Amino acid sequence: MPPQNAGAEIGKPTNVDQQDAAKQSSKASVFVNTEPMREEQVQNAVKFLSHPKVRGSPVIYRRNFLEKKGLTKEEIDEAFRRVPDSQPSEQTAGANQANTPDVQRPAQSQALQPGVSGSTGVTTLSRTRYTFRWSHALIAVGFLVVSGAGTAILIKKSFLPRLKSWIRKIVLEEEYDQLERTDSKLTVAEEASQAAKAAAAAAAALAKANQEILTSRSEERRYFADVVSLLDKQVQEMKLLTSEIRRLEASRGASYSRHEDYQVNQTSSKPFIVNGKQDYGQRSVTSSSQPASVEPSSAPHPKSYMEIMAMIQRGEKPSNIRDIDDSPPNPNQQPSNPRLAPRTKPWEVSQVQQNSTPAFPSQVNVKDLNSSVLDNSDNAVPWWQSKNAGIREIDNGVENNGYGTASGQQPIKRTWVPPQPPPVVMSEAAEAIRRPKPLVQKEQTLDDQSVPHSSDVSDKVMKSSELSKSERPIEGSITNTVLESAEILEES
Amino acid sequence: MPVFKTPFNGYSVKFSPFYEDRLAVATSQNFGILGNGRLHVLSLSPNPSQPFTEIAAYDTADGIYDVSWSESHDSLLVAAVADGSVKLYDTALPPTSNPIRSLREHTREVHSADYNPLRRDSFLTSSWDDTVKLWTLDRPSSIRTFKEHSYCVYSAVWNPRHADVFASASGDCTLRVWDVREPSSTMVFPPHEFEVLTCDWNKYDDCIIATASVDKSIKVWDVRSFRVPIAVMNGHGYAVRKVRFSPHVRNLLVSCSYDMTVCVWDFMVEDALVSRYDHHTEFAVGVDMSVLVEGLMASTGWDELVYVWQHGTDPRAL
Repeated sequence: MPPQNAGAEIGKPTNVDQQDAAKQSSKASVFVNTEPMREEQVQNAVKFLSHPKVRGSPVIYRRNFLEKKGLTKEEIDEAFRRVPDSQPSEQTAGANQANTPDVQRPAQSQALQPGVSGSTGVTTLSRTRYTFRWSHALIAVGFLVVSGAGTAILIKKSFLPRLKSWIRKIVLEEEYDQLERTDSKLTVAEEASQAAKAAAAAAAALAKANQEILTSRSEERRYFADVVSLLDKQVQEMKLLTSEIRRLEASRGASYSRHEDYQVNQTSSKPFIVNGKQDYGQRSVTSSSQPASVEPSSAPHPKSYMEIMAMIQRGEKPSNIRDIDDSPPNPNQQPSNPRLAPRTKPWEVSQVQQNSTPAFPSQVNVKDLNSSVLDNSDNAVPWWQSKNAGIREIDNGVENNGYGTASGQQPIKRTWVPPQPPPVVMSEAAEAIRRPKPLVQKEQTLDDQSVPHSSDVSDKVMKSSELSKSERPIEGSITNTVLESAEILEES
Repeated sequence: MPVFKTPFNGYSVKFSPFYEDRLAVATSQNFGILGNGRLHVLSLSPNPSQPFTEIAAYDTADGIYDVSWSESHDSLLVAAVADGSVKLYDTALPPTSNPIRSLREHTREVHSADYNPLRRDSFLTSSWDDTVKLWTLDRPSSIRTFKEHSYCVYSAVWNPRHADVFASASGDCTLRVWDVREPSSTMVFPPHEFEVLTCDWNKYDDCIIATASVDKSIKVWDVRSFRVPIAVMNGHGYAVRKVRFSPHVRNLLVSCSYDMTVCVWDFMVEDALVSRYDHHTEFAVGVDMSVLVEGLMASTGWDELVYVWQHGTDPRAL
């Protein structure tokens, strides 16, 4: 096990010694509800779950509703147990949740159960209506075509005989005329003209017939075009719906969920309160259908935020987005070795330090700190160090945390460093980050404040010398290694 | 006090648990609606003319909503990215080797990341896909998925004294306490009537947890008697986005809100508000208190600024 965990293991008992021992056996019980079940709440829950409208909603929303009412898990489970046909387990709830994401997501803005079931009902209705429309349209088209053909045929059939009879009539009339006018000058020309007239009449009749056929055909075509246009409109509407849904989904992340004030609208029974923000409110207005309830006003968003939201709603993408490939170049890349040991948290330290007096070195450090403040106001003490924190036990513990100067107080050795690269490399690094101040003094006073925490060799020298001076227990062999390497350095 | 200007809108700021002068900032373009993201690793320097040095900056295709420092490796960071991926960065490696991992399991935006301060080997991520996932560094896939919330999980935070216990705050208005050894959550209660945006455990009392919500209030609870809060702190003008208990003072907690202020509270006192900082000019979205330096705090917001200051001083003072 890495030493960090060992440190953690050692550290843990010091946190809550007695408490832990007491809690070990009943540890879970601290974070578990120990109250008895409230029968009244369970009965209310049973009534709620038995409601027919509630039955149609996913289990997870039912559970959430009860949780929001303050029921404990046990009470909720008991209520589910008592109501037949419902699925009490969270696994099934989870499965339900997983199975119904597509249906629920667009409707999630109205998370209340009746609203949810209503929306699913509406979608199915519209869907059935829609399919009905398709077949209806097809039937209509077919019927029209058939009727058009039929009328054409009928016309032809009925018209031709009429035409023929009419022509015959004319011809007969002509003949009669001719007969009547036998003594009249029936010249060939007259005959011809009469024939021509008849022919013209016949042609006109034919033309009329053709025209009627044409008109009927054009009517057919018109009907057809009408039907097609109706279908097109349907398609448009469907496209709009799907794009709407897609946009809802996409910008659900954008408009709904990414802005908690508006998320209030997504939770059950929360209407959308418009604070003069109608534009992007439109979508949620259409989707939320809950009765009004008191709700905290939403914070006014920055103007550019509104502009971006409007852009997204229109479907435009903001122009400043770059295509970035942020995939790992080597997915199996090992993280680099840690250079520092994990530092004990102040709340872990405080437990220990409360049992002991502050170390003298730590006080000295603080004093040096203060004096150096007076000397070098700009560089000596980083501005972020607390100047007014006073000499608090915890404070000292924190400041001296990583450096082992006051570590004698804590049984936990925190500043051993994992095997380091050769000292030569470190000294170069140390040179690079060294400040232009007297090294020895600086190191000592700013031991706990120096910016570079990478193992500074001279730091190690200091620490190791301090360590050797004190009577603190030296843990493990690693500190010995530190000492050894320090000694080697001192020699060199 | 130094100010750092980020190119994108700030979302989260975290101090390093190893280096007192180091912090990470998670930012997202276009307020996190749609755009790239950038993770900054900054170093504070005593030089007043250049208070911040950027050690590293990593660009991502989508916005970064949260960042968490590793407790085992001083150079490792976990980034919660809006495209559902969890990315690991190593500042000790050259930028071309980063990220070292991109863990893609969440199906929606990952909203928070938190590293286990006791076990130091695992971390949690919570997402808008209603789940919380537990990961370790050495495994390419999550160890566990906690799926009980019915809406976005905004925050999952480890208990600082119990290595296997964590709490999750969700948009379904509930707070859940989990034990990783248990198959399901061990506790659930509704701390607010509206979405719970954040939660944090008290560092000195393992059963005390603070929650904050869209309803502008911060409530402090004892999980052993969760029906009634220990304290209710009103004072923010809009939704409270983040709360953090102080690592050094038992009763102190800091919060940041959409009312652009960062407030420090003492929940054991009648008049709980200790200080209010209104240095931000847009939503204050991220706040953190340093574990290593007492009183040092940092905040970031949608005004693209990162402030670092000592409690009691003016963040905007030079």
